[in-house]
Order: sequence, then C-alpha cells, then structure tokens
Amino acid sequence: MDRRDFLKVAGGTLLTATSCAYAFRFLTASSTIWAESGSPWSQRKWGMVIDLTKCREDCTACISACRRENNVAHHGDVRWDVHWIRKVNIRSKADSQGIEKPMLLLCNHCDKPPCAQVCPVQATYKRDDGIVIVDHHRCIGCRYCMIACPYNARQFNFKDNEDWPNTEQPKRSHGVAEACTLCAHRLDKGMKPACVEACENAGGGALLVGDLNDPDSDISRIISTRAVKRIREDLGTEPKVHYIGL
Amino acid sequence: MEIRFERIEGSSPQYHLLLLVFAAMAAAGFIATWWVIEKGIWVTGMTSRVPWGLQIVMAVYYIGLSAGSLVISGLYGVFGKLEYKPFARIAVYIAMLFLIAGLLSILTDQGRMDRVFVEPFVYFNLQSMFSINPILYIGHILICVVYLWALFTERKKLTTVIATLAFGWAFCVHSGTGAIFGFGARVLYESPLLPASFVAAAMASGTALMILVIVGLFRITRRPVDDELIVWLGRFLAVCILVVVYFLIAENAYRVYVVELRQAALYYLFSGLHGVLFWFGLMIGGLGIPMLILFNRRTGKSINWIVTASVLVVLGVLCERYVIVLPGLTHPPELFPGMEITSSVIEEGVVSYSVSFAEILQALGVFGVIGFLFVLGLKTFKLLPTEARTLDNTASPD
Repeated sequence: MDRRDFLKVAGGTLLTATSCAYAFRFLTASSTIWAESGSPWSQRKWGMVIDLTKCREDCTACISACRRENNVAHHGDVRWDVHWIRKVNIRSKADSQGIEKPMLLLCNHCDKPPCAQVCPVQATYKRDDGIVIVDHHRCIGCRYCMIACPYNARQFNFKDNEDWPNTEQPKRSHGVAEACTLCAHRLDKGMKPACVEACENAGGGALLVGDLNDPDSDISRIISTRAVKRIREDLGTEPKVHYIGL
Repeated sequence: MEIRFERIEGSSPQYHLLLLVFAAMAAAGFIATWWVIEKGIWVTGMTSRVPWGLQIVMAVYYIGLSAGSLVISGLYGVFGKLEYKPFARIAVYIAMLFLIAGLLSILTDQGRMDRVFVEPFVYFNLQSMFSINPILYIGHILICVVYLWALFTERKKLTTVIATLAFGWAFCVHSGTGAIFGFGARVLYESPLLPASFVAAAMASGTALMILVIVGLFRITRRPVDDELIVWLGRFLAVCILVVVYFLIAENAYRVYVVELRQAALYYLFSGLHGVLFWFGLMIGGLGIPMLILFNRRTGKSINWIVTASVLVVLGVLCERYVIVLPGLTHPPELFPGMEITSSVIEEGVVSYSVSFAEILQALGVFGVIGFLFVLGLKTFKLLPTEARTLDNTASPD
C-alpha cells in the first residue's frame, strides 16, 4: 500500500466512523427530545420542602421507603453503602454542648447542576421539569460528578446489589453513579415520591414535593410565606430542596 | 552535523529478561483489572468519600511526564538546538508512551470500561474537562506519531512545524489536566493557578525523566555522550524546579492567608500521609535537595549528581501528584458553615485513604505495558544515535 492509498483508506474510515457516531447520536437524541417535549410535565419545575421541625429523630421511614422503591444498595459497610437520602445530626460549632437536630440530605436537583456540567458523556442531565437524573446505560463510571457535587449527594455503585425488592425498577449494577431521582417515575404517573408518601404514612408530613413554577401550589405558597433555607446557596448552584427549621 | 541513528541489537539475555519482567508486570496489571471489573471498584479501596485513588494520581503523573518529555524534544525541533537532535526521537517516543500510560490509567479506573470507547465521543460535553481532555490526549498521541515520522524521514520543515505544534499542544494537554482539578468544587482543588503549576511540574518531571533515560540508555548501550549536554539539561531542570516552588508557595500562601481557607490549608500541609509527602517527598526531597545539587558549582556539573537530582525530582513530582489528588478528597466539603455534623450513616468528616494492593498491581501493569513497548521500540525503530556531541566537538557541523 503506498502513501496515497493509505491516506484514502484512513480518511474513509475516519469519515465513516464519524458519520456513524453522529447518526447514532441523532437517532437516540431525537427520541429523547420528542418524549420530553411531549410530556405534560415539561412546563413544571419540581422542588422539595423539608420541614425539619416535623422530622422525628428516631424515624427513618423515608430512607427505608427510598431503598425499597429504588432498589438502593445496602451492603452493611459505611464505605460502600449507597444513600439516595441520608439522615445526619448537626449542631452549632460555637456550642459544642448545644442541641443536635436531625437533618435530611439528598440530591438538591440544582438548577445549575455541577454534576451535569462535568459529566463527560452527558449521562447526568437536567430534565425539562428540573429533575437531575443519571442515565445508567450511558454512565462510564468516571466519578467526576461525585467530585463536582458540593453536597456529597452523588453516590456510586461500588458493588453489585443482590437485593431487588421493586422489580418494576432496574436492579442496580456496579460501576455507575447515581443519586435521588425525586422518584421521577412516580411523579410522571401523578404519584408522590416514595419518601414523601412514607413520611405522610408515618404521621410526619415533613416532606413535600411540588411545582415551583405554579404560584398556587402548596410548595410555592410555603416558600413565599415561611422562612426557608437552602444548603450552601452561596455556591450559586440554585438547589431546589428547601428547608424549614435549618 | 551528521547524526546516525540505529536500532539496538536486542539479542542479549538481559534484553530478553527485561522484556519478560515488563510482560509479567503487564500481566499482573491485567489480572488486577479483570478482578476490579468482575468484583467492582470497591476492591481498589476507593469509597463513596474518596472516589479517586492511585490510578488517577498515576494518570496525571504519566501525562505530566509525557508533556515534559515532548518539551525536551522541542529543544531541537522548535529552538533549533542541533546538539539536542540525538535525543529528539527518544523524547518523542517516550512522550507518546507515557501519554498511552496516562490513558490506560484513566481507562482502568472507569466503572464501566466497556463504554469508554464510544460514549465520550458520541455524547461529547463541551463543558466537561473530562470530555475536552481525551481530545487533547488523542491529539497528543497523533502529533507524536507524525512528529516521529518527520524525524525518522528527516523532513526538516515538517519537523519544525510539527514540533512547534507539539510544544504548544503539550502545554494545552497539561493545562487541561490541571483544569480537571483546578475547576473543581473542592476547597483544595479550586485554583486558577493549578493548570499553570501542573505545566511547571510536568516540565520538571519530564526533563528529569529525560536526563535519566539519556544517561541510562547511553551508559548501558555504551554510547558516548558529552557531559555538557546533560549539564545544560540539569540547569534547565533547576529553572523548572524554581518555577514549581514559586507556584507551590503562591498557592499555599494564599490558602493560609485567606481565613475561610486556612483550616483546609493547614490540613493539607500538616496532616497525615499527604503532609509527610508534601514536606519530605516534595518540598525537601523532590525540590529542595535537587536545587542544592543543581545550583552548586561542583555537583551541578557532575553527571552522577545530576542523575541523583533527577531521580529525586521524578519521585518528588509523583508525591506532588498524590498531594494534589488525595487531600482534596479526604478533606470534607463544608455543607453547613458554622455547624458540624455529629452523626451520620456515611463518613462525613475527614476520612482516610490508603493505597490498595489492586491499585498497585494496576499501576505496575500500566508501567509494564509501556516499559515493554519502550524496550521493544529500541530494537524495532532507529531511536538511538551512535553518539551525542556538542557542536564544538563535532567534526563536520551542519
């Protein structure tokens, strides 16, 4: 093969490969766009309010419900357990003997999500309705999103998860990142997220999910009338989880 | 100046033994990687709080060595220093191999290695440093291939053009790698200086590596090399070290000075293994002692001392890569300013990280692959000159 032939073959291969790649991208992306723009929820912007004054210290109903609903991995080892929602106790640094209060932490579904910004394959993205979600079939497991998330909310499946309580949701396999989806699959059906439902059933009523774009929604009313805070608002990520009593 | 390049004979038992050792290392790395794929990344010892470990440290280190080696090849290609032409081919070859090592380290660190070959190119994200860098890395390898071809075929104009491109590209490659961390959300990562300091450390480690390779190869294969050439590289290394020290002082002085960063800065400088590596591995062993050696009038001209300084710099920059990557992860992000987390179901505060057996095997494996290719390349390609002389000592200057 002389140089001219080599260049022809190499150029042809490169052109074909590029064309195939972009054709694949066009075909897969177009179906996603169609589904999202046709969704009745596309005008919505989901947000959450957590009333810490109603959150009981001994209650973990939301965490258990989240695990069951989403097959979240639990191996019994603090280093590799996955927590889409986790409960911590916090207190003031100035008063080491002060009162501890419970706090729920989960993905903040930021309006400007750093995890989506850094994802090299756009596996993490923000839906039209504001939910930040991971495409498990595309994630390469680079864990850059975990580095970028300032809330330690991104989790990684370090091990395969043998438990599969909810067979309607995918079984979690190792090697991909994930985080709370705000139970998007339930919201899309008009249902409440599993944690919100469990909290209500446990008599707490500390969690509320609603449409931030609707000024008449319960969540918008609470945000406009109560003293709510968001975690690290100073970072400019515009989290959509609001706290009462923080 | 007429320079003749040749292949090494490669028929000695030592040569074959070296090939065997590198092949065994590569095999061990392959087995470890297979184990990680089968079992999951937890076997590497990485956790939810420390999701990057030794493989990322090594990737950054290798990419730095690559960028630095390519800059050395530019002494001839860009700046026309003819006396450094004998080292140009080996410098470019090493630059290419270390970039491959960097890519292999990144590849073997992924949770889903099977998706790495398609997804990043199909779903390219212009906002992600992790998307931009593979383009820079692959471009770097392609440039190295063309650069080598230009050197092998003695195309002077093409060599100058591609060498200049490679020189600039090497800066972009390492700035991009630095930006992965510098543009991050962690207190100990976030720094606009980081891309520039990455380049400085890359130049230092790459130059030190080239000194070791040149002196080692020329001695083993009994080729004459003028001491002056190595002494000049030693001086260049000393300047690179000064720049690295400048960036390190600037960055850490800022963190210690600014009240809100002070606690993190003190953690970085004086805690745990990374504190020891920072002071003893990097500042004293990797930069301080080499500077004393290289700026001293007597030791700065001694090849053995220059080699000692180079060994220290190569190891020191490895420590530097470790103290960039790990403390930024083991130090917790501040979720609630003014508050502290007293209990949690995960590790919330400062956490520990130790290198695991699987990670060591993976790192050795990657080194084995490029070591094998390097030794094989010496026999396959005309990489080594018969001699390396200063212009004054050559009989027929070009």
